Amino acid sequence: MKLASLPTQIRHNGQPHVLEPAMVAAPAVASHAELASFHFQTVTWQADGFGFDATSGEFFTASPTALVVMQALSEGMARTQILERLTSRFEVTRSTAERDLESFLAELAHIGLTPESN
Amino acid sequence: MNASPVIAVTGLHRGENPQPGSAVIRSLRRVYPELRIIGLVYDSLESGLFSEEDAPDAAFTMSYPGAGEEAFWQRLDAIREIERFDVLIPCLDAEMGPLVDAPEKILERGIRVCLPSAASFKCRDKSKLAELCERTHCRTPQTIAVSDVNSLHQAAVTLGGNVFVKGRYYEARHAITPAAREAAYWHMLEQWGAPVLVQENVLGEEYNVIGLGDGRGHILGSCSIRKMLRTAMGKGFGGMVVRDPQLDAVAQSLIAELRWNGPFELEFVKSEGPKGEYCLIEINPRFPAWCDFPSTLNCNLPAAALELALGWQPREPLRHASPGKFFIRHAIDMTGDIRDLAALTTSGQFFRQPREVIPHPASSRSH
Repeated sequence: MKLASLPTQIRHNGQPHVLEPAMVAAPAVASHAELASFHFQTVTWQADGFGFDATSGEFFTASPTALVVMQALSEGMARTQILERLTSRFEVTRSTAERDLESFLAELAHIGLTPESN
Repeated sequence: MNASPVIAVTGLHRGENPQPGSAVIRSLRRVYPELRIIGLVYDSLESGLFSEEDAPDAAFTMSYPGAGEEAFWQRLDAIREIERFDVLIPCLDAEMGPLVDAPEKILERGIRVCLPSAASFKCRDKSKLAELCERTHCRTPQTIAVSDVNSLHQAAVTLGGNVFVKGRYYEARHAITPAAREAAYWHMLEQWGAPVLVQENVLGEEYNVIGLGDGRGHILGSCSIRKMLRTAMGKGFGGMVVRDPQLDAVAQSLIAELRWNGPFELEFVKSEGPKGEYCLIEINPRFPAWCDFPSTLNCNLPAAALELALGWQPREPLRHASPGKFFIRHAIDMTGDIRDLAALTTSGQFFRQPREVIPHPASSRSH
């Protein structure tokens, strides 16, 4: 089984804008239920993948793997640690996970949600 | 003053371009259900007259602003001969000028208001916004006032071609081509008079802040939203409560600089990108049409404005609305009666009667 994709959707005025990394996705091993709600930057993420930014009023949806990455970032993990978490939780090769992570971090940077340390 | 104050509210039409009066009435009645409220209307078909929930107890037609200030005051006096209201809450931009310019006329009639001073009112005029923003270090789109077609096109070229053409009081149209600009110019001139304003188009999300100033530079209460839905006219039909310290700080500095007294609405666009800044589009000197939404979240600004006008102690404290609460406007059909319409049209006044209850056929058979 491969690593699931890390798509995040931003909704503006009811029109979803989909941000997706280039990789091909497969089902995730981790389920939403394994995650508690957490804060990442200005967004509060729920276990079901719904995020709300109280300062901007924007809301997002994220896949289970995207949640795992953002939770790791919120815990201050470095990229290598995040990769380890991904490869341990999902059946994915390190190179695929690495490529996907880079792509997803670029998407986060685009919407202003990447910690500067990453 | 009456033992129990009578309140006059204007702007009761909630059509395509909703006016705030009905929302003000609804908010007042949330805290003061016993209040007698009269509507001052400019058209017998103002929708708020026919509402079950937020209609005034009585209504009187006003003279159109175009008839001049003398006619305005004469009509106000004539209405007060019939219904001596104590507090006036104006909800339309075009009414504000004559009122803030003549505080002595309000005072001599014993009418209580919650209005800004003439000086602060003028400082927030669309044509003066750049100066205000310079003093408060707030971003604002470049705006040029024009009074003829040549100046219109010159201004548009100066601002990069992609502009908004705005009326002096209301309305804005996005115009890219010269033909669209010209059509918008003539429309605004006809509707709202000169000058017409040409404004740089700032791309980004729209944010609005509604609040109440105490006249000494403080905000007594406020609620900020991101517009979620907009009509073709750009009117907000849905908004999400936000709480952004950066937005609060910008609003505070503007209100402090103006020493604003009374209701206000600040309209911003937050420029795109992670480091987007709030850019002030305009300041409305009154409550907006969505002012009842914060009232449902324990931030009843119209009731607070009434208390301020009357010098009353607040019955309910103003609280911060929680981020994540949102409103969606829902347009419904009001049922009117030709007798009400006739009364307003012929005599210029209308006193609300209890609604006729039509019994269900089944209940009449059982008697």
